[in-house]
Amino acid sequence: MTLLQLERVGRRHRQDGHERVVLRDVTLELDAGELAVVWGLRRSGRSTLLRVAAGIEAPDTGAVRFAGRDLAGGGALGGGIGYCRRGRGGMEGRDVLDELLLAQLARGTPQPVARSRAFSALERAGAEQCAARTARELDTAETVRAAIARALVLEPSLLVLDEPTAGVDLLARDGILSLLRALADEGAAVLIATGEATALSGADRALSLTEGELRGSCAPELATVLPLRRRASA
Amino acid sequence: MRSPLNWALLGLVIQRPSYGYELVQRFERTYADAIELSSPSQIYTALDALQRRSLVEELCGEDAPAVVRQPKPHYRATAEGVHGYQEWLIAHLGDERRRSRLFACQLAALTPPVALAVIERYEQACLLQARGTPLAGAGEHPPDSASELAARLVGEQDRLAMGARLQWIAYARRELRAATHDRAPRR
Repeated sequence: MTLLQLERVGRRHRQDGHERVVLRDVTLELDAGELAVVWGLRRSGRSTLLRVAAGIEAPDTGAVRFAGRDLAGGGALGGGIGYCRRGRGGMEGRDVLDELLLAQLARGTPQPVARSRAFSALERAGAEQCAARTARELDTAETVRAAIARALVLEPSLLVLDEPTAGVDLLARDGILSLLRALADEGAAVLIATGEATALSGADRALSLTEGELRGSCAPELATVLPLRRRASA
Repeated sequence: MRSPLNWALLGLVIQRPSYGYELVQRFERTYADAIELSSPSQIYTALDALQRRSLVEELCGEDAPAVVRQPKPHYRATAEGVHGYQEWLIAHLGDERRRSRLFACQLAALTPPVALAVIERYEQACLLQARGTPLAGAGEHPPDSASELAARLVGEQDRLAMGARLQWIAYARRELRAATHDRAPRR
């Protein structure tokens, strides 16, 4: 089932009186259970693509649909979409557990349920040890795992991650990629943007974004299914 | 000695002393995607070549494993073989560069629009290859065998090389587009 659909999406950014085309006619479909990775250089439009896909930023042209619902209005994150931005992802002063609780309480989840979900999400993301620490006290890999846990507490069907392996120690990197692979195998649609080609490994679809143009297998039926795909246990 | 097969075989003998049939099996397992054996006899021919050059020698006396049924000559690497193998590995760093240069020169021989079309297809092939590269699982546990270590090293090398290739493609595309624009007929 197509969960996310971008249809001929265009986006321009204006800065200091100049206008730059960031996304050009981008078309992309993503099914539940799929892991798609978009590789691009800096200023290729990769972060904008993710923000548009997550419904955070509205496109200038084209359509964005999530589970059949139009997201092109932009604004708040669409329900069912978890978004992990680069770096600490807005987690600063509070400890990680509080971050996970706040994300749920703001949506009216009762505290005992929120607490239980928070610990489950931390465990699923391999970030149990981070619960009582603030984002400043985490290393890069732990920060990414904590951010994934924060997204998971809302039980998203689509996870969108901006550069989840940037700055992550080489030996910790594949653990994060294995986790994202496993989340897709469990049924989530996962969309990643990255500047590191190493993050393309194990993806169902590898795409490239250059000067706002998306290339690769943009629809699931065009993707070659990987035989004997490694199923990660992380 | 120029044959990559001979050097690859020497690497296996350096890894551990072995006899002919076992080397055939190890060769096929280790180099399955890199060097194809047309016949097992290639291994025996390569062993002869390595022995003639004193890069390997037959184990004899107490060093040889106990014979069960019929004697199987076991081979081990000589000091000269180990040294030669290391030198060969370093000397071959230039191979990839030569291949890349050749590809770039051949691409530049095409008209920019045709070269751009080739670049598109090349990028697709790279993306497909990149996603097919397995995760190493590094950090989850240390490699528990020489073959797992080799697989991880090869995998990481492929993934990093792919990153460089994709960056080069992005660069080449910009250059070719600029060239296409410059050569477009002006009115």
